[in-house]
Amino acid sequence: MASLKDRIGVIKLNQKVAKDIYKMVLQFDDMPDDIKGGQFAHVKLNDKSHILRRPFCICDYDISAKTITLCYAVVGDGTKVLSSYEVGEKLQVMLPLGNGFTPDKNVKKVVLLGGGMGSAVLPAIPTSNPELEYYTYLGFANKEKVVLEEEMAKVSKQLTVATDDGSYGKKGFVTNILAEDMAKLKPDVVFCCGPEVMYKALKKALEPFDVPIIVSLEARMGCGIGACLVCNCKVKRAGEEETYVRVCVEGPVMKLSEVVL
Amino acid sequence: MSNLKVNIAGVEFKNPIITASGTFGFGREYDRFYNIEELGGICTKGLTIKPKLGNPPPRIAESYGGMLNSVGLQNPGVDHYLQKDDLYLAKRDVVVIANVAGSTLDDYIAIAEKINGSKSDMVELNISCPNVKEGGMAFGVLPQSVERVTSAVKKACPNKPIITKLSPNVACIADNAKAAEAGGADAISLINTLSGMAVNYKTRKPILFNNNGGMSGPCVKPVALKMVWDCYNAVKIPIIGLGGITSYTDVLEFMICGARAVQVGTYNFNNPYGARDIAKDLATYVEENNMDINDLVGTLILNK
Ligand SMILES: Cc1cc2nc3c(=O)[nH]c(=O)nc-3n(C[C@H](O)[C@H](O)[C@H](O)COP(=O)(O)OP(=O)(O)OC[C@H]3O[C@@H](n4cnc5c(N)ncnc54)[C@H](O)[C@@H]3O)c2cc1C
Ligand SMILES: Cc1cc2nc3c(=O)[nH]c(=O)nc-3n(C[C@H](O)[C@H](O)[C@H](O)COP(=O)(O)O)c2cc1C
Ligand code: FES
Repeated sequence: MASLKDRIGVIKLNQKVAKDIYKMVLQFDDMPDDIKGGQFAHVKLNDKSHILRRPFCICDYDISAKTITLCYAVVGDGTKVLSSYEVGEKLQVMLPLGNGFTPDKNVKKVVLLGGGMGSAVLPAIPTSNPELEYYTYLGFANKEKVVLEEEMAKVSKQLTVATDDGSYGKKGFVTNILAEDMAKLKPDVVFCCGPEVMYKALKKALEPFDVPIIVSLEARMGCGIGACLVCNCKVKRAGEEETYVRVCVEGPVMKLSEVVL
Repeated sequence: MSNLKVNIAGVEFKNPIITASGTFGFGREYDRFYNIEELGGICTKGLTIKPKLGNPPPRIAESYGGMLNSVGLQNPGVDHYLQKDDLYLAKRDVVVIANVAGSTLDDYIAIAEKINGSKSDMVELNISCPNVKEGGMAFGVLPQSVERVTSAVKKACPNKPIITKLSPNVACIADNAKAAEAGGADAISLINTLSGMAVNYKTRKPILFNNNGGMSGPCVKPVALKMVWDCYNAVKIPIIGLGGITSYTDVLEFMICGARAVQVGTYNFNNPYGARDIAKDLATYVEENNMDINDLVGTLILNK
């Protein structure tokens, strides 16, 4: 089996980019060269009271600059601590973990769909697969929460931003906006990351279209590498009984059709 | 000459560091970070007679300096273990302890019979699971049931030394240690997790799907140290101490309180090299002080 490593990342940037949302750039002397969009980093906090690491998807990466970017929302104690770290601080990071998005050989046209903070998973996908064509849809609660618009504009043939309240971009749920465009887009696959409610809505909205939907899941984690079995998610695979799989190893990227929501 | 080797019930460990059940899988994952043969021993995930799916998520929550889990013993079942992991681990130069669990006495006997023919070196009895036949109270609560399950497993598994793993959620842990000894345990390990709850004030719901969970990590260490000391004064069989260990000085504290070896659990999540690093640091300490680690066991000097 391939070997795993815990690496030391030096913070190069830790900046507020929207309300309660930060972008962090970490540089590694021993930067891994096998990162795939959709994989995640398991970040240790530098104080003893937080015994558990925090998982964040690798928002983007640059092998030659030896950096990864994280984009995270401050939602609790740990992310608050993370947001207080200054440039130069060193963090222990396990990466890259999980499976990532792996487009089939016949895939050319990809829809990238992000819901809120889930959008953070998207930028690394074009970085890993620059030969594909991307049509990107980002949905946020309101104007204050819009992130990664610029980054995604650079790598997308088409970019649509929507807010639930219409305070920025198109008004409405981005899943419905995508559904309206589906007939003319005819993508080979939809890659999506967002909250679970979004997956339920997406499943329904795209039912009429015969397109594979691949999603990235979140779960509370312990080890991050498959040893502790706390990150379980229920799946139902064709011809098999319902069972649990580990989001940290068999995921976080999974076929939406197999996930029991 | 300094010495880091310890012997428990006739089984030699190259150092007193063992990884705790449920935090280290069957060794394969951490084997990708370092050679698990650098450890004294490893304890497997709790095995049951049939595969077990465990509890729905969320199964983990954080607390100050610790965490709660409610995995609910998800495991592939003992037969799968015997066909796969038992063979993988047998090839390695590390003591392998099979952790077993059941919800009836018959379960424990059946699994003990199977492990008797395995390649593992020792058996650790997890008696913190609810006993379905006795109204859901864990086997580990009453001294009589601790003795009963220990002696039944001892009979069913005569080839392997038996370690009874004690639950801290009891009236008097020293009484349960004595009960394990009376039941024929070759050693005891303690502590398993402390019963606890994590609550979300916004939703007014427990964070864990199972409502309750087992607390572990640095925050439980003082409780564990006291219990190890209490048990050391109650029994003659060797003690494996655990609960919140994150450094070699924690190990020294446990050994001074009476542990002959220790287990490292939650800390593996924080630092994937954690157990190995502790073993290395302990080796350095023992060398620098030119001591035999066994001389520390039970040397606590009380203040009065
Ligand atoms: C594979 C993966 C990728 C992720 N990528 C991102 C990302 O790119 N950007 C981002 O903002 N967030 C991301 N998350 C969610 C992020 O891990 C949590 O928001 C974060 O752990 C919360 O930590 P906290 O200490 O602030 O919250 P607290 O509620 O104080 O945390 C307590 C514990 O619960 C865990 N926890 C709480 N909420 C979540 C959650 N939603 N998912 C997983 N664990 C949680 C924490 O890790 C911690 O162990 C991702 C989660 C996973 C599983
Ligand atoms: C995620 C998790 C799973 C566990 N599973 C088991 C188990 O299957 N059997 C068992 O005897 N103990 C189990 N335990 C308890 C540990 O082995 C150990 O007793 C406890 O965590 C205290 O040690 P620590 O503070 O070093 O983690 C588990 C603990 C954790 C955190
Ligand atoms: S987080 Fe430990 S198995 Fe997934």
